[in-house]
Amino acid sequence: MKRYTWNALLVRYPALFALILLLVAILINFILQPNLFAGDNLNSNMRVFLPIILLTVGQAVVILGGGIDISVGAIVSIINAVLATRVGLSGSPQAMWQYMAAALLMGVLAGALNGFCVAYLRLQPIITTYATSFLYGGLALFILPNPGGGIPASIVEIYRNSTPIGLPLAFFVIAIVLGIWLYLRSTRYGNFLYAVGGKAQAAYETAVPVTWVQFSTYVISGLMAAFSGIAITMLSGAGNAEIGAAMTLNSITAVVIGGTALSGGVGGVAGPMMGAITLGLFQNIVSFAHINTWWETLVKALIIVAALATPGIINLFRRRT
Amino acid sequence: MPIEIMTLSLSAKNVVKHYGGVVALSDGNLEISSGEVVALIGANGSGKSTLSKVINGVVVLDGGQLLLDGKPLLFASPQDAKKIGISTVFQELSLIPQMTVADNIWLTREPLGALGRVNRKEVFAKTEELLALFAGMFKTELRPDELVADLPSDEKQIIEILKAVSFDPRLLILDEATASLDSRQVQRLFELVVKWKEEGKAIVFISHRMEEIFRIADRYSVLRNGKTVGAGNMKEITEKDLVKLMVDKDSVFSFARSGAKASEKPVCLEVKDLHSAVLRGVSLDVHEGELVGIGGLQGQGQRDLLLSLFGDIPFSGTIQYKGKAVHFRHPRQAMKSGFALVPGDRAREGLLYIRSILENFQLPSWARYGFPLKMNKAKKDAGQMSARLNLVMASLQEPVSSLSGGNAQKVVIGKWLMRQPYLLLLDDPTKGVDVGTKAEFYGLLTKLADEGKTILFYSSDDEELVGLCDRVLVLYDGKIHTELAGEALTKENLVSASLGVANGGVQ
Repeated sequence: MKRYTWNALLVRYPALFALILLLVAILINFILQPNLFAGDNLNSNMRVFLPIILLTVGQAVVILGGGIDISVGAIVSIINAVLATRVGLSGSPQAMWQYMAAALLMGVLAGALNGFCVAYLRLQPIITTYATSFLYGGLALFILPNPGGGIPASIVEIYRNSTPIGLPLAFFVIAIVLGIWLYLRSTRYGNFLYAVGGKAQAAYETAVPVTWVQFSTYVISGLMAAFSGIAITMLSGAGNAEIGAAMTLNSITAVVIGGTALSGGVGGVAGPMMGAITLGLFQNIVSFAHINTWWETLVKALIIVAALATPGIINLFRRRT
Repeated sequence: MPIEIMTLSLSAKNVVKHYGGVVALSDGNLEISSGEVVALIGANGSGKSTLSKVINGVVVLDGGQLLLDGKPLLFASPQDAKKIGISTVFQELSLIPQMTVADNIWLTREPLGALGRVNRKEVFAKTEELLALFAGMFKTELRPDELVADLPSDEKQIIEILKAVSFDPRLLILDEATASLDSRQVQRLFELVVKWKEEGKAIVFISHRMEEIFRIADRYSVLRNGKTVGAGNMKEITEKDLVKLMVDKDSVFSFARSGAKASEKPVCLEVKDLHSAVLRGVSLDVHEGELVGIGGLQGQGQRDLLLSLFGDIPFSGTIQYKGKAVHFRHPRQAMKSGFALVPGDRAREGLLYIRSILENFQLPSWARYGFPLKMNKAKKDAGQMSARLNLVMASLQEPVSSLSGGNAQKVVIGKWLMRQPYLLLLDDPTKGVDVGTKAEFYGLLTKLADEGKTILFYSSDDEELVGLCDRVLVLYDGKIHTELAGEALTKENLVSASLGVANGGVQ
């Protein structure tokens, strides 16, 4: 038997650390808020977490493929602005469904533009998507200069309070997304994704369609950002062209906490999903610990830094002994 | 050999390839048909890898043409070459470290099951079949689900070979495929090559090991400075003539050190009881103007010794330099005292690849050019150094990445010579350097020692230690096992001392 190193273990089970962290976060949250799993609390938490979970999935796919997408938050904003202005508070549910389909198409197109620039024009991912984030964010502000508008309350009601067989709606969405990912992971495309993210030159020499794979990750990310935008609009019921701005960094943080390396090729999507939930729980912990709002950001940031640093610290001690 | 029906014949004619301003290939030619092994021979930087990358579609040629069965071919990507049955064992390996052995081998050709899902069971079974080709050659049992990153270098190399073979290619290119294999593994590979040849595969064999070329190849094609300078049957040429074609220079070791006995000069460096993570008590004296070799098998503490002297790693023990006790805790201090270290891994430690040749030359010396920097003087000095080293380059402004291995190594040495050091520490400076450049190095080192510089020179090439050094200290298991000098300094003694056997010399 060959002994596995901590690193090899993380490569093989990338979600391991994320899982431990998630359990710790749940435990602390449970201590501070004993009714965490009771009644409505589970659903009200999960429906808040869902938009960032969806966004994180797309981000994770891009990062696995060796890129990064800074524009996801801006895509969320543009979707929110479009739905809030086009459907309207008094709009018909029918219009909502139509514009949701349009929103998904817009997400795909935005992602395709990113992908085209990065994969075919070979521009730096971080710069390209940073630039397009202003394009999308600017467009969102053009559509909806001031917060306002919204979607029909009946739609909001569906999102907020549907609990099929007694479980939050978010659970079902997560299960479907995870199922699709596991399927994708088991196809040839899944292998290509890891190969391109792991070592693009080697993948190219093995005749993997590197450019196409890179392009596709941004399209997936755009699509997931559109889903995220729809979810957050259904959660808030209102329009705000800057609603997604803070979500980009959170999605990247969730990916990293989830054990998916920023260098690409290592990790998965389940870990980042757990990372996104963990981030949400941190928010809860901070507010339930009655920490002054002044300190909230600082404390939250410290927890994130500690979580990110833990694997490195463990390695440091392993090297010492 | 029985005459067979030729199922493939590929020829590269007058192939030209530039990288930036440097011509990697100016007239590359190769003819190969099914059922034969053609050795592609040449010094480093002669264009072997470039020619093979033109044939497998990784790079697009700038001139000349490829002919398949007499018809012109144009590859836009490796996919095109794979389609007509060309696969390659890459020198720098085309494996994805974070993926498993099985996933690596079958990448792009995974057997698919229902709904387009990869049939892992079949992938594993097919991988086991391939691994059986090298059964008994792995140090431990090799499983298909092991990560490539966890494998030792010889097993990675075998996986790269199996991956290329799994394409069932008509033309197989083996680019330095034997470099990290042991003799048993090479033997097995050659048995397989003979089998593949009989099956009608064409094989291009690239290697530095002359003995292997004579064992396996039917024909040869020699490249020198990007030009094909000779081709023919192996049976009709001797080793000596092949080397002559490669380097155009007769003997590499034609230098005799001037008679002056360095050992009569004062001691320059005195090391006592040096300990580090690897070193277990090393003591040595080096005289001024002496060229002292450090030998032994790889990883016996040679690197640690040089790095400790340079203050790069923590150590214990006493070091006297020119009569004064020194204990460097940072390379900066060592540099100030006139030390220079040419590190072993030039890509990681020696050079900033994407920066210009000028910047690389001047990196340790900028402090001498004032504020603001006197650029003209810096350029002039770097230009003089590159002329002195006979550096082949487009201009000082080109990135170091545009240079061949040997020329890049010249920059590493040159950047330290710019500081006119007294004591040179060299960590295997001729590794991956072509024969012609090696000869230039030997001349340079001899001259430096004659000028009174003191040189500590580690090399993995026993021949150059014997040919060049006044004395050789053989390290074994973190200690100096044997000191060889004068009559005792022979290749045989060096090899046996490396293996920890007592034989001649002072222990």
